[in-house]
Amino acid sequence: MIYEFRVIDLAEEFGVHRNTIRNWIKSGAIPAKEGPGRRYIMDWSDYQRLCEKFGKTPRMPRTGGMQKPAQEQGPPPIKLKAVEGNKFYPDATWADICLTCGTCASACPIAGVDGLDPRKIVRMAALGLTDELVNTDWIWKCTMCAKCEEACPMDVKIVQLIRKIRSMRPRDQVPGPIHKGVVNCLERGNNLGIPKDDFLFLLEDLGNELAEECCPGFSTPVDVRGARILVTVNSKEPFAEPDDMKWWWKIFYATGESWTISSENWEGVNWGLFSGDDEALKTIVGRIVDNMKRLNCEGLLLPE
Amino acid sequence: MLERYKIYSVFDLLLEYYNEGRININREIHKQRTTYHDPCNYGRKSLKTFGHGYFEEGRIITKACAPNFVDMEPNREGNYCCGAGGGAWAMPFKTERVFYGRIKARQIQETGAELVIAPCHNCRDQIKKSLNQEYQLGIEVKYLWELVADSLVLPVKN
Ligand code: SF4
Ligand code: SF4
Repeated sequence: MIYEFRVIDLAEEFGVHRNTIRNWIKSGAIPAKEGPGRRYIMDWSDYQRLCEKFGKTPRMPRTGGMQKPAQEQGPPPIKLKAVEGNKFYPDATWADICLTCGTCASACPIAGVDGLDPRKIVRMAALGLTDELVNTDWIWKCTMCAKCEEACPMDVKIVQLIRKIRSMRPRDQVPGPIHKGVVNCLERGNNLGIPKDDFLFLLEDLGNELAEECCPGFSTPVDVRGARILVTVNSKEPFAEPDDMKWWWKIFYATGESWTISSENWEGVNWGLFSGDDEALKTIVGRIVDNMKRLNCEGLLLPE
Repeated sequence: MLERYKIYSVFDLLLEYYNEGRININREIHKQRTTYHDPCNYGRKSLKTFGHGYFEEGRIITKACAPNFVDMEPNREGNYCCGAGGGAWAMPFKTERVFYGRIKARQIQETGAELVIAPCHNCRDQIKKSLNQEYQLGIEVKYLWELVADSLVLPVKN
């Protein structure tokens, strides 16, 4: 069976922009083909899957077509570990005090997508479904924004719980580049592995540019001992958007600030926070403290 | 450690400069309607973790540079995440991230603002490079310090 739609209708149905629908079609996230009259067609089962993903009820009922199999295989039975061996039990504020009211789910902007739902996460934690939680991608699609927590009448520490679950995912199964970034940072001093020489060359070059553009006499201060402020850098800037570093430099120029950048371990973004890696987090912070001591600075500027 | 060194967020340092009169701002440069995005980490989460949410600092600076200011609704601790926090900007879940951002996009649209100030790298990237195109917002997005740098009247030095 075929589901036919116009982009504008589907956009309305899912609450996104028409462009988003077009991009999803382009990227294959929506497996649809262009049909006649600026309409698209996709398999009804794909449409149903899409509805399931975003927690929507299909707009039109399925008629005819294939019969539902008489005996649907349910998921295998789950063993609950409510108290014994439950890794989330020691701190009652992570899950145990939850009233199951669902306020958190109403507050969450991504609730319903792929079955994600903060209340469900909290309840699963209370019931000891540790493995299921550690293996789900929900905890990585959640942005740890704490909107749910702010709404919760019981002050359940939902974000701490989610971070704890993240920390239990085997490191080689952390999605995306954030764990790789942590390893890079530990091994090479910054999340994107930018070599020291390249970095220093870039700083000098950009400093000269800024001097020419609007700040006569400017040069980038690297490893200046006794500077008032040590400035850390988000490695995406030297990597991809180097000119963006000049805004702060221009402000320092205007204020006559005494500041410096360290030639090593200058990374200011600590992905251990989001990947749930406390050891790495501490090591990376420790290096910044070492820089503060080495360069004898009074203050530290974070990248944001 | 915390006693020995002073840790500055971008808000602390910009506000220090502003309060001490160390930056001279031209208020005529950003005349367009401007709104401000509260980052979750410095707002809601900082409030809960450290007892102080950076809500007003960013607004003081933004209004000083762009007087035609309007807040999103809801804002401050009730604000919606841009959709790319917690590492989500880098995660392989783009479809979900864009869907998540629909609320932010709508919030921005409802202000009628042409300029959005984002004080965090992640939020700025999501709003500027993703939501702006996906939801055809037609806005300009600047970092808080970019706004200041672009508004500066530079001292004449020799
Ligand atoms: S922290 Fe995660 S679960 Fe809670 S509202 Fe934000 S995205 Fe949803
Ligand atoms: S809002 Fe709090 S108490 Fe209510 S279901 Fe969510 S976690 Fe439980």
